Amino acid sequence: MKIRKKKKSPGTVLFILPTVLLFVLLLLYPVLSSVFYSFTNKHLIKTRLDMVAFENYASVLRDKEYWNALLTSSKWTLICLAGQFLIGFTAALSLERIKHGRTLFRTLLIVPWAFPTIIIALVWKYLLNGVSGFIPNLLLKLNWVSAAPQFLSNKDLVFPTLVFINVWFGFPLIMVNVLSALQTVPKELYEAARIDGAKSGQQFFYITMPQINPVITLLLILRTVWIFNNFDLIYLITGGGPAGLTKTVSIYAYEVGWGLKSLGRSSAVSILSLIFLTIVIVILLQLQKKTNKNE
Amino acid sequence: MKKKTKQYLTMALAITMGVGLLQGCKNNDTPKPTNPSEVQTEGSSKETQSSREEADTKLSGDVTFWHSFSQGPRLETIQKAADAFTEANPDVHMTIETFSWADFYTKWTTGLASKNVPDLSTALPNHVVEMIDVEAIKPLDDLIDRIGRDRFAKAPLEEMTVDGKCYAVPLYSHAQVMWYRKDLLEKYDLEVPTTWDELYDAATKITKGENGAVYGCSVPLGTNDMMATRYLNFYVRTAGSRLLNDDNTANLTSPEVIDGINYWVKMYKENSPKDSINFNVLDQATMYYNGTNAFDFNSGFHIGGVQTNSPDLLDQISCAPMPTVKKGDEQKGVETSNIPMVVWESSDTQDVSEAFIEFMYQPEYYIPFLRSVPVGMLPALPEIAEEKEFLEDETIKKFQREMEVISKAVGEGTAIGYENGPVPEAGLLISQGIIENMFQDIIINDVPVEEAAKAAEDKLNEQFKSLS
Repeated sequence: MKIRKKKKSPGTVLFILPTVLLFVLLLLYPVLSSVFYSFTNKHLIKTRLDMVAFENYASVLRDKEYWNALLTSSKWTLICLAGQFLIGFTAALSLERIKHGRTLFRTLLIVPWAFPTIIIALVWKYLLNGVSGFIPNLLLKLNWVSAAPQFLSNKDLVFPTLVFINVWFGFPLIMVNVLSALQTVPKELYEAARIDGAKSGQQFFYITMPQINPVITLLLILRTVWIFNNFDLIYLITGGGPAGLTKTVSIYAYEVGWGLKSLGRSSAVSILSLIFLTIVIVILLQLQKKTNKNE
Repeated sequence: MKKKTKQYLTMALAITMGVGLLQGCKNNDTPKPTNPSEVQTEGSSKETQSSREEADTKLSGDVTFWHSFSQGPRLETIQKAADAFTEANPDVHMTIETFSWADFYTKWTTGLASKNVPDLSTALPNHVVEMIDVEAIKPLDDLIDRIGRDRFAKAPLEEMTVDGKCYAVPLYSHAQVMWYRKDLLEKYDLEVPTTWDELYDAATKITKGENGAVYGCSVPLGTNDMMATRYLNFYVRTAGSRLLNDDNTANLTSPEVIDGINYWVKMYKENSPKDSINFNVLDQATMYYNGTNAFDFNSGFHIGGVQTNSPDLLDQISCAPMPTVKKGDEQKGVETSNIPMVVWESSDTQDVSEAFIEFMYQPEYYIPFLRSVPVGMLPALPEIAEEKEFLEDETIKKFQREMEVISKAVGEGTAIGYENGPVPEAGLLISQGIIENMFQDIIINDVPVEEAAKAAEDKLNEQFKSLS
């Protein structure tokens, strides 16, 4: 049988034109302009611009601070992602089992996600302030510590503190999405598994996980990108300090672009991050493909 | 509906949406006249010669004014002046936009490329030199002469002069001085410190005596502000040195600077909350406002902060000149901030902007503006400080002595790095957080002072190269 290819009418092309234009203007233009600027000595406020080939990339890659920032960003992404998934997943599974008050608990647990980052950052900064902060003073009053803990200035505490705040802030997104995915798994599959004698763990790994795998992969990709690129939370709480202990690639790029006003170098940092994240995403997608094949 | 009719309708809808999108992308600002003469004679084609002459002196056009006076009273007084100005010039339309200083910097630097800058704005001294560097603002010597060059203090005008042209008109000034708590000095039987060593001893006594309730002297070292640079500059200037060499390279390794670094590290370790390693200007000021910091360095703005946050402490605060290294040395002002107004080069209504600046200096608008933050904003026109209307403000009366201390310091100091005139290196000195990072490295990572200072100096010099 011959399949006749349906012809696209001119109307259809014109109809999708606004979307294509929006895509080009809002997505492609910033990316392409960053690529272009990364090969120039573009200054934030100076109009003159010269091509410098790979000089920006070379100077960024030679900079020890960049590599430290990349290491911090990678650590930050991995630990936050693991924490968010662990708590988000656990909360979703618990809510799925709850018979009464599920909506109330879901609403309460999503509260952190509902606040703007600036509010979250300032509230936590206030709560953890080493002089007047509520938490250090509470710990002191409870005699759990002999001196007020300096959560944001102690070199051993500052990074875990930021990770905790980010996990607290980010887990509701995982929870809500996993919960929605869990509710789409047909109940008959569990019934059949139970009849066949499958235990809870087996049901989870052989029914639940394969069914919600596409949602998990999507969340994993999105959260990896968002956490890696997170700027506001860290910058507002510690500014990348003390002594650069919380300086991520985003803060490094900001300092180069807005402090040094070297938009060319800052663009090179962005493009390097784009390449890095693309590689990570490709690896994640390959892993998902492999998992799907095995299943 | 027939298939063809459906297709035509779809096409028409798509074209309409596409056109709408393109229209949306267009800048919908009303076209502005290209030069002041066009502004003045706008719509005058049917006018007679005499009415045209009249129109030539009449101000008209749209003016966008950016300022950073986000607090209530200052905002109100500026708004009142703008309203009075537009009432006197009905063909002028003023749009006022308010930003914090940090947002203001981002706004103008990013706006410059897209020509989205105002006609008139306030600025920080370090912004002015950058604005001049990229030819973003116009010289205002004619305007200064019209207002009366001799009426202004000399130093602020010099600070904004490059190649003999003055690019900004100072609106108000303030200077950094040492603030202390009278009640705490009395409690611990201490005199007001006049040297850095005396300050350290007094701060140590208070820290120990108050056992964590009050810190002797908080040292702010956060990288998202320039406070550590400011504190180091205090010490270095009073030791007779500078953070920039005469050839505008960085100086962080001279004996005076090393002494200054050691001094503040010691002060941090003994008399400052550990969290101050991340403090910015607001975190630091809040400690003094709340009464948890005995000695602080700031301008007359501290009075308003204490008044708002801890009115009970208002009777206990006072200020003194900057301490010195050696006992008996003359105590001089170190850091002065002269906040100016600038007119943007790309503006089509520069004449209106200049007229508004001139208008602002009339006592009926200028004095209420200064009184909106009493003692915080000192007049750029010294004669105003003698005016009865200015002096009869209750806060100014109460803090008359403090105002004298700050006024003296205003005349003696400069912006950080501007000791030999405005240079772009001064902007990088305070904006990169390199000195703040150096302090953090010494404290957190135990990097030896000389090593950290050398690394920071090299880094600054490396960054100075980007200016060329």
